[in-house]
Formats: sequence, structure tokens, C-alpha cells
Amino acid sequence: MLEVQDVVTSYGMIQALKGVSLAARTGEVTCILGPNGAGKTTLLYTIAGILRPRSGSVRFEGRELAGVPADQVVRRGISLVPENRLVFAHMTVRENLLAGAYARLGRDGGGVKVDLEAMLERFPILRQRAGQAAGTLSGGEQQMLAVARALMARPRLLMMDEPSLGLAPMIVEQIFEIVAALNREGITVLLVEQNARLALSIAHHAYLLEQGRIAFRGTPSEVSANEAISRAYLGIKRG
Amino acid sequence: MSDYFVSLLIRIGIEAFVALSAYLLLLMGRMSFGQQGFFVIGAYAAGLATALYGMPLLPGVALGALVAALGGALFAGPMAAPRGLAFAAGSLAFGELVRVALLDLYFQGQVGPDLIGPAGPDGFRGIRALFTSGVSVTTYAVGIWLALGVTLLATAFFLRSRWGEALRMIGEDEEAAATVGLPVRRVKVSALAGAGGLAGLGGGLFAHYATYVEPGHADVMLGVHSLAYAFIGGLGTPLGPIIGVALDIGFLESFRFLAGYRMIIFGGLVMGLLIVRPRGLLDEVAVHRLSRFLMRGRR
Amino acid sequence: MVDFLQALVDGVMLGATYSLLGLGFTLIFGVLRRLNLAFGPTILVGIYAGSHLSLAWPGALVPVVAVTVAGALLAGVYVERFSFRALARQAPVVSMISTFAVWMQLQELVSLLSPSRTMPYPSPVWLPAVAVGPILLRSDGLLMWSGATLIMLALFALLYRTRFGTTIRAVADSSEAATLMGVNVAMVGAAAFLVASAVGGLAGVLIAQSHQQVTPYFGLWATVKGMTAMLLGGAGSLPGAVVGGLALGVVETQTLWHFGGQWRDLVSYALLFLVVALSPRTRWGSGL
Ligand SMILES: Nc1ncnc2c1ncn2[C@@H]1O[C@H](COP(=O)(O)OP(=O)(O)O)[C@@H](O)[C@H]1O
Ligand SMILES: [Mg+2]
Repeated sequence: MLEVQDVVTSYGMIQALKGVSLAARTGEVTCILGPNGAGKTTLLYTIAGILRPRSGSVRFEGRELAGVPADQVVRRGISLVPENRLVFAHMTVRENLLAGAYARLGRDGGGVKVDLEAMLERFPILRQRAGQAAGTLSGGEQQMLAVARALMARPRLLMMDEPSLGLAPMIVEQIFEIVAALNREGITVLLVEQNARLALSIAHHAYLLEQGRIAFRGTPSEVSANEAISRAYLGIKRG
Repeated sequence: MSDYFVSLLIRIGIEAFVALSAYLLLLMGRMSFGQQGFFVIGAYAAGLATALYGMPLLPGVALGALVAALGGALFAGPMAAPRGLAFAAGSLAFGELVRVALLDLYFQGQVGPDLIGPAGPDGFRGIRALFTSGVSVTTYAVGIWLALGVTLLATAFFLRSRWGEALRMIGEDEEAAATVGLPVRRVKVSALAGAGGLAGLGGGLFAHYATYVEPGHADVMLGVHSLAYAFIGGLGTPLGPIIGVALDIGFLESFRFLAGYRMIIFGGLVMGLLIVRPRGLLDEVAVHRLSRFLMRGRR
Repeated sequence: MVDFLQALVDGVMLGATYSLLGLGFTLIFGVLRRLNLAFGPTILVGIYAGSHLSLAWPGALVPVVAVTVAGALLAGVYVERFSFRALARQAPVVSMISTFAVWMQLQELVSLLSPSRTMPYPSPVWLPAVAVGPILLRSDGLLMWSGATLIMLALFALLYRTRFGTTIRAVADSSEAATLMGVNVAMVGAAAFLVASAVGGLAGVLIAQSHQQVTPYFGLWATVKGMTAMLLGGAGSLPGAVVGGLALGVVETQTLWHFGGQWRDLVSYALLFLVVALSPRTRWGSGL
């Protein structure tokens, strides 16, 4: 579904991605692990069109995506749940959800209404808070809202940047259950996480990104089998 | 030298002090719309010292600068913390407060046959120390430029010192500067005082050249111009602001046929320049290249 | 007591136009995170255009209003194009300096094109003043207040009740997230700029009809009033700008009544300074 080939992305003189290649297969959860500063957010932003790659290609459903502006990428069927959620704090929960459907509002007003109802059904907490400013929500609620908002665009590929950041373990598990459920419903997921154990539990494929390069790729069990990686990322104590 | 040329030199020199003071604060990440306030504080104080209390010219001007620097230090009390738009707004309010307050300042004394001193909206007339001291205008112009040269050298020296390092670091990231243990508050207060002093020095020099100052000289336009000068010339070197002033007053003023359109042309130049060189003519990269080139020349 | 009430009423009527100026500033600052110093001067262009038309065609009120707003819009497009869009990738402060350059251009332009510094502006002087008990409501003040209130209602309806308005607020809230939703942030910014310029033009009409004349200093005056209204309201909040403008108007007229004209500006600047000094941690445009 998504193929990233030799992508190089820089901030000024600093190369954050030094030739990254990966693929996300239709219907799967693909997970990207890696330490802080590895370039995970940069990779997602490059795919989303907010950053332009210096070189390399990003193909989605067979069409080139590199160089397509961000507001058009959404219309191609890719949504990103950004790091730190970035909900519209001064707008109500309902307005946030409608904003998520921005790309469809003109063409598919009826569909948006149906989806809005479906989101409030799936996330009952959002229905309770529908008229409230999003900034007043708790961290977990904001994360739910960010996911629901992204879904309002009806993406075929959902990208998530560290959804567990700063949330209590119980909430994190809830979020991951939702991601797994969405995936079973047919949405392809590209998941960036530092919580490797949980991410691997729902992933079909995993990549390890270190200092702007893919350092390892494999199935979750291959990752767990690799001693160096599990020591560094799964917190397994030395022998 | 023609009188006209000398007067141009003096105007450039005086404005350069105010532009330099705005530049110093820009390095610290603060845009000030209020340096004109310190300019007139220096002008009034220097005028009072010489005209009312009979001080000689040089100590009088120096005292004016000192009073303005003190004003800057006091200003730092509430204004060291705010930054961004808050600082811009606070400095604007301060500049206007000074102007409006001067409209109501009456403080006159009998000097010989005349009443001398600030007289509200009529301003402060009869600051004649330059002319009674027998210094020619040309000498005065040379003196201003000497003072400017010394100030520039001193500024360059300070900017290279650890103080300058700290100043720039505060401009980049104040939290980080505090975390690595820099005396952030002390640096900010001293920079605000120094900037006040520089503008006040310009004010004292101006008052004695014009023989009067009035509240209108604290027009916001002076502050905003100074800020723009610092930007046009470039943020890479203290010479930048002076180049900005020279470009506006010197270059454009000398094309007299442009007289009616000067603002339109100058405004257009600045606008275009910012699109091509957003950090001014002499930005950091240009300064770096230039100094490498000069070093090579020396060998 | 009657003095106090009279000054209060006058202040609210005057302050309503300050609120409009503050709203224009807030729209631009909120969406683009950049300060438009040339906001007052763009309105100045509109007022001068309207004044020229009224000289050539006396009695034509509606066309004068239309030309005033059109002039402000045209100048706004110029500012947006060269000081904002062309500098979108630069630090916000670069835009601000650029708007100052445009300011000088616009101010000189209107001076050059006008026969005298002070230009007349038409006012519907035939409207009667209204007396409510001991309080006198002057017609120009009533016009300022009712006009400004109508414009504000329309603007708030636009911003809070339409999809376009929601998009503007979304960009103001987080332009990054808005981009991720598929919003073309640059286009929304330009649109918000035009809305602000139109609001500014209308505010210009209301203020100029009250002054019945205009000088090139109007640009500076309007920029300072609008910025103060925005900052008093907390910079970035639309309802805040309304409150800030009203507060500024009331403080000005109360000081005028009780202490005299020379204190009016002193008190309003002292107010602004105090707001900054007492809330230094406000992250107003902390990006600089
Ligand atoms: N806006 C930026 N400007 C400059 N460098 C950046 C910027 N954002 C990220 N970087 C750098 O790029 C690298 C990758 O960052 P990022 O993609 O955020 O990593 P991750 O999401 O894996 O923690 C880091 O070294 C970071 O310092
Ligand atoms: Mg990240």
C-alpha cells in the first residue's frame, strides 16, 4: 500500500532521514520503533507532505506522493494522528471532529453526519464532552479525540505518532485495543511507538529506526528474538 | 565640507546611536518600540544639566546618557521578563508614556534674562551649550563620529565577551540559557540599561545640536525606524544598524529629486530587501565571508 | 454620577470602534501569528479614497462607504502579498518590519495624492441626538456603536457559525493540525487577512464620520488603538478584543471627563504598560 524508498529529509544542514526504505502492507499494522531523535516523526511528516524529502520516493497505492502538499495527501486517503495530539484546544469536541472531515465537507455532507454519529457511538466519552472545548479534556480523552478526528477523513492508511506518550498504562491499553479493532475493520496502520512491547503485540511487521536509518526489520517475533534489540527496547535485563 | 553634508553626518551619527540600542535588544530577542523614550530622556536630562545647571557640554551629555541608562535599568524592573509581543507592547506603551508625560512637564528656571527648561508641549528651548562653548558644527560632527566609533568598538568588544555570548543565548533560547547557569536576569538588566544609555547619548547629542527638544521627538516613528535600521543593515554586526541609517538618511536624502517620494522608495527598498535578504544586508553569513576575505587580504 | 454615566456611555460608543480595530488585529495575528503594523495605514488608504470620492460627489454616502472599504481591501491585498505571503518562510519579526516599510509607503502615498493634509469625511449630521434622561447620545456616537455592534455580530456569526469561520479558528488554534486535516493554511491566512481588512475599512468609516476629517496620522493612531485593544484582551482571543476595545474606550472617556484631555492618553498607555508588567509570562507571540 505504502512504499518508502531511500527517503532523505533534512532540516537545513542536518539530515534527519538518511535514506529510509520501508513498506506498509494493506490490512496490516506496521510498527516503527526507535529512540528519541531517531527521525520517526520526521518520517511520518515526510509521508504526510508537511516535510519535503530531498530525494527518494514515497508511493501510496501506486502513485507518487513525494512533493504532494500536505492538504492534498489527506485527500489521497492518509491521515496522521500527530505526536502530542494537537487537538484544536479552543474549539469544541464536535467542531474538532468536523474539522477532521474538512476534506470531505463540501462533497459528502451527508456522509460526514453519519460518521460523526458513528464516532460519538464508538467513543462514548466524546459524546459526553461534545460541546466542551477540547483543551479541557484529559490527556487520554484528547488522544481519543485525535484518533476520532483522523478517522473522520475516512483514511485507508492511519498513521499514529507515539499515541501512548504521557498517558496512564490503563489508558494506553485502551488506545491500543482501539487501534487493533480499527485494523480488524480493514484500516492499514503505520504506528510509531516507544512502548515497544505493546506495539509489537498488535503489529504484523516492525522496523527499527536509529539515527535516520533503518537498523532492523522483521516480524514481532524476530524482533523479540534479537537479543540486542530486546535488551535495548523491551527492557529485558542482561542475562 | 558643505553645511548640508555636515548636517547629514550629524543626523546619521545621532540616529545610529538609537539604531544601535535597538540592535542590542534585538540580539537579546526583544523588539523595542520604545527606544525613542530613552532618546528624549537623555536629551532632556543633558539639556537640563547644561542649560539650567551650567554644566559643560561633555559632562552634560554624558550625564544625560547616564540618566537614560538608569531609566533603562528601572525599565528592566517590570520589563526584563516579558518577551515577544508582550515586550513590544510594553516598550511601545513606555515610549508613548514618556512622550505624553513630557507634554505635562514644566520645570523652568531663570538663567540670565531667560526662563529656561521644559515647558510642556512647547518643549525645552535654549539648549545652547554647543554654541556658547565655541565648538564649531564641523568639530561637533567629528566628535559625534569619534564617539560613535568608540561606541562601536566597545559594543563589538562586549559582544565578543562572555556577556555577549550570554546575550545572544538569551535571544535564542532563554530557558536553555538559564539552565546552563547564565546570570540571565543580570545580563538582561545590563542590556536594557546599556540600550537606554546608547539611545540617551544620541538624545543628548541631538538636543545640543538642535538647541531644543520637544515631546514630539519621542514619536514612535523614531523607535520603529531604529528597529528597521538594525534589520536593513543586518544582524550580523554592530555596523549593520549604522549602514541602515546611512542608507536611509545619507543615500536617499542626497537624491533631492526624490524628496516627495522618499518614503515610498525607502519603504519599497526595505520591503524588497527583506524578501531577498531576510536577515539584512550584512547577515551572519555575509559577515563571516567578509571577515575571511579580509583576513586573507592581511596575509 | 451623571458625569460618570455620560462618560461611560460615550466610552462604550467610542470603544466599540476600538473593538473593531482590535478584532482586525486579532484575526491577522491569531491566524498568521504575525503582527501587521500596517493595519492602521491600510484603513487610512480606504478613508482617503472615500474622502476623495465625497469631494467629487457630495452627498453620496453609500458609494463613499463602499469605496472606503474597497480601498482598505486593496491596500490589505498589497500588504498580504508582500509582507506576509512573500515572507511566510521567514521569522515573524521579518514580516513585522516589512509591514512597517509598507506603512511608510502608504502614508506617503495618501499625502502625495491629497490636496491638503487634513481631508474632510462626510457624516450623516442630520441625524438627531437622542436624550435618555440626563444622558445625551450624540448621533455620531450612536452610529459608531450601532454600526460596530452590527459588524461584530456579523463577524462572530461568520467565525462561529460557518464552515469558513470554523476553518479560520482551526488554523488560529493549530495551523499544523489544520494542515493535517487538509486545510490549505496559506489560503485561509490570505482570506482571514481580507476579512480583517474589510472589518478595518468599516471601522474606518465609523471613526472618520465621527471625526468628520482625517490626517495621515490616522494610520499610526488606528494601529496603536487596535494593538492596545488586542493586547488588553489577551492577544489572540476574539471576545477578548471586544472587551479590550470597550475597556480602552471607557478608560479614555472617563479620564477625559474627570481629569482633562492631557491625561487621556497617559492613562490608556499606563493601562497597557501595567497589563504587560503584571502578566509578563503571557506567551504573546513568543516566537517573536
Ligand atoms: N524542526 C526541526 N529543526 C531542526 N531539527 C529538527 C527539527 N525537528 C527534528 N529535528 C531533528 O531531527 C532529528 C529527528 O527528530 P524526530 O523526527 O523528531 O525524532 P523522533 O520523532 O524519532 O524522536 C533529531 O535529531 C531532531 O533534533
Ligand atoms: Mg517524535
